[in-house]
Amino acid sequence: SAAARRPWRLFGAMCLLRLPRITQPLEKEEEEVTALMEQIELERSLYSDHEMRKLEEEEQLKKKMESLYDEDEARGKTVIMAQDLEEKWEQKFLRFKAAPRITDADKSNDRTSLNRKLDSNLMLLVKQKIGNQELWLLPQVEWQPGETLRSTAERAMATFLGDHIQAKVLGNAPYGIYKYKFPKAIRTESNVGAKVFFFKAFLQSSDLSQAQLKADYLWVTKKELGDYLQSEYLKKVNRFLLD
Amino acid sequence: DALLASHRSYRSRPTHGIGRFKYLLPKEVPKRRKEKVQMKEISAGTEYQYGDINIQMTSHDLCLVEHFAQYVHRLCNRLSIRVNESYAMPTKTNEVLFLEERGSKMQLDAVLTTHQRVVQIRGLSSTFAPILLEVIQSSQPEGVHLLMKQHTEADFKSRLKARPELEELLAEMS
Repeated sequence: SAAARRPWRLFGAMCLLRLPRITQPLEKEEEEVTALMEQIELERSLYSDHEMRKLEEEEQLKKKMESLYDEDEARGKTVIMAQDLEEKWEQKFLRFKAAPRITDADKSNDRTSLNRKLDSNLMLLVKQKIGNQELWLLPQVEWQPGETLRSTAERAMATFLGDHIQAKVLGNAPYGIYKYKFPKAIRTESNVGAKVFFFKAFLQSSDLSQAQLKADYLWVTKKELGDYLQSEYLKKVNRFLLD
Repeated sequence: DALLASHRSYRSRPTHGIGRFKYLLPKEVPKRRKEKVQMKEISAGTEYQYGDINIQMTSHDLCLVEHFAQYVHRLCNRLSIRVNESYAMPTKTNEVLFLEERGSKMQLDAVLTTHQRVVQIRGLSSTFAPILLEVIQSSQPEGVHLLMKQHTEADFKSRLKARPELEELLAEMS
């Protein structure tokens, strides 16, 4: 025979990550250190141009109040004082409203939306039928001879999320492997088990308005993976996930 | 006689030139000013290695970008990736002008400076590159743009200052 048929079936799985959009909150020690450093810097720093100008103008104002001289008009002072500028800036700052860090999806714990947990990585989990069981897995598709494993993983992504996904696959080498043997009932000579190769990709655009082909999907963080994945699978997946 | 300097080795004495040693040292070649462009290495095959890669970090905040550049440099040292150079590009100053309401005059509002630091790396293997990229991306601070690209001659030339007199003379000659 031309090529001996290996007993293992190969699958390519894609771990699609949505990168965090906000920084994580600081730890207690980090906050204390930043506060201390800021205080030290403030005490050590010198006056800036704006502050010097403000001090000078305050002195001039005081002198004017005490002695009622017309010197300032004679010199042709500018109309805008440093104090006015500061007040203008304060008002502008108060008008600015930052976007909330904890979004609605967080509050409702809606795991299918991408707006949850903006400060950590979110991964795509899909419910797939393996054998006769419905399991939560990273999207995977069987490898066909003649294509690279990376394109298998990309095909897996495309089957579950549609063709126009802007994701950047990281490298041609797989990140992890999970192999399992089929239960004895299904095992044959040429079909001992399966090997799943994991690839990683970063989601570039957060807009997934294209149709989701399979209905059951979730976006979960690393800690929540334990709720859905099997323990052996989880162990292998956790090996290549950065927090 | 005490006024005569009797220890001085005069030319007729046999001890003339007793302290000379420079003629014993190897000859120093005078340093050349011209900088040559470095070689690039991409070896195709199973062991795929990237050539020179520039990691460019841009931000408005100077301290942040410098500290991040230091962190990246130290990270590469620990992972035993060879760092060719780590330099800074000149800062760009932008003036933000606000148009006043009910007026055609632009008023100066703020002055922003953009700083850029570059860390140049050689010998990154392609199996390791995505891991490094992910680590750097996940530890990126707020307000810092990260860009990883291959080093080209244009990048190298952008660091050098243009010499208008030389160019004028060259234009006159040709």
